[in-house]
Amino acid sequence: MTRIMEARAMHKSYGQVKVLEDVSFDLEEGEAHVVIGPNGAGKTTLFRCLSGETRINSGSIMLNGQDVTGLAGWQRVQRGIGRSFQVARIFQDMSAFENLIVAIETRERSEKGLWASFGHIAPRRAVMDEAERLVHELGLEGTLDDPAGTLSHGDKKRLELAMSLALRPKVLMLDEPTAGMSPSDRSEAVRLISDVRARYGLTLLLTEHDMEVVFGLATRLTVLHHGAIIASGEPHKVRADARVREVYLGQH
Amino acid sequence: MIDYRVRFRTNLVIAACGLAAFAVVPFVANSGLLFLAGLVAINIVFGLSWNFLFSGVGLLSFGHAMFFAGGAYGMALITRHVPEMPFLLALVLGAACGGLIALVFGVVALRRASGVYFAVLTLAFSELIHILITKTTFLGRNDGLTGIPRPVIELGFGTLNLTSATAYYYFIIIAMTLVAVMMWCFQNAPAGRLLQAIRQDQMRTAFLGTPIQGWQLTAFVISGTVAAFCGAVMVPFTQIASPEIAYWTVSTQPILFTLLGGAGQFWGPAVGAILFGAIDYGTRTMHGLSEITVGVLLLAVVLIIPGGLLGLLKRRRAAASKSARSETAGERTSETEAGK
Repeated sequence: MTRIMEARAMHKSYGQVKVLEDVSFDLEEGEAHVVIGPNGAGKTTLFRCLSGETRINSGSIMLNGQDVTGLAGWQRVQRGIGRSFQVARIFQDMSAFENLIVAIETRERSEKGLWASFGHIAPRRAVMDEAERLVHELGLEGTLDDPAGTLSHGDKKRLELAMSLALRPKVLMLDEPTAGMSPSDRSEAVRLISDVRARYGLTLLLTEHDMEVVFGLATRLTVLHHGAIIASGEPHKVRADARVREVYLGQH
Repeated sequence: MIDYRVRFRTNLVIAACGLAAFAVVPFVANSGLLFLAGLVAINIVFGLSWNFLFSGVGLLSFGHAMFFAGGAYGMALITRHVPEMPFLLALVLGAACGGLIALVFGVVALRRASGVYFAVLTLAFSELIHILITKTTFLGRNDGLTGIPRPVIELGFGTLNLTSATAYYYFIIIAMTLVAVMMWCFQNAPAGRLLQAIRQDQMRTAFLGTPIQGWQLTAFVISGTVAAFCGAVMVPFTQIASPEIAYWTVSTQPILFTLLGGAGQFWGPAVGAILFGAIDYGTRTMHGLSEITVGVLLLAVVLIIPGGLLGLLKRRRAAASKSARSETAGERTSETEAGK
């Protein structure tokens, strides 16, 4: 296995508050790595640091063997990261279909250069076809023309996932992909994510609260507690870890 | 699904109708009204350039006068000092003046500020340019640069004489229509879609792999260039570049046009500019009444129809088509029931 992401000795603090302390984190190619931890453990901060939404105070982050510590989020995206947000971020006033078009055109722009889509007004045929394929893959057929802001919570999440997939990332980072979903939607989402992972050969990095989702998806589990990693490894081993049971799983 | 082709044709027809309406003016109106119509045509594109920034990218400019004046003074200087330069090239250089101002200002301001802070910076910088103009002898101080001639364009196979106000008026409306159509195309093309995405959610757009600031700067420069082009085209028409066009009241005009006509629609500023021109004309004999009327109208529009005039029209149409759709749906259900 190759190591696709490698973070070493990350420190992150907001003012006086230290959120991450000496965190080292690896992501192997092809794995589905889930980060769990109680509220305030630093999951989201870790997620933000790795994706480039915020810079770390010290430490280093490597992506595909390249140092990306000093790079902004959009530059890391161009190097193969796709991410979703805890509360789905989509372009509210555009139709769901246009959301996908924007995502695909953005990828083409990064791949082929600025002039790839120049000279056209309407999206090119290939872009439209690709958008339609994503629509079918993710089951967004019914909602194509509605303003994305009016979609249901679950559809917004699916649309955001589709937009991330349109970037053809190597690593897909999902921040609590099932937050706020009903139990039935949740199992549906888990099925969809593992489908997508298999089909695109993706490496996944997730944060999640729901244990069913965690053990449904994870091939590796990392437990964060007070800004430090206390366990990391195969899910069933982590589950059996005494310290983990104490701080986290034991509560359930 | 959006039919992009229909959308393009519809807007092309709108632009053509606008051009046709303006083309009739010289036949039915006196020279005073013709002059006003020419200024309205320029104001339309000036308004479009502002709204391109506001509704197209999500940047608020309180200083669009600096671009307009930049283009006007650039044009005036060229015609006075380099009279042998071809007219169209002079226009392009005039527009480039505004682009340059936008570039210099944008590089500094976009890195430092956003939202209201950015807007206040544009206001401050615009005032600075105004003061600079009034204090510089080279730029004519408070008197401005006067006596700008209208051009005679050499076409190779003949000459195009634009020295009369009517001939130059036709040049204005054709140039403005072309620029308006170009702006529509740009806003609806992939780059325009991306800018719209930036307006709606910067973070999401960044995490699709887009350098936000670079695109914002590009849009800012384009908007400044178009506004400056308007200023450059105006100068031979009025035959003067005066410091008033750099004053902050000029910056408020495209904002007024946009709010009156509707910020959410591409042609909103056009409707607003025409309405504004009509009010100006209707109240021309009573000093100050124009401002009062515009003020009251603006208040009414903002309070009663926040989407502007075109926004109201669109909502009416949406409501009508919705009720029509529910009627046909009702018929369909009764048919299926009868079928059972």
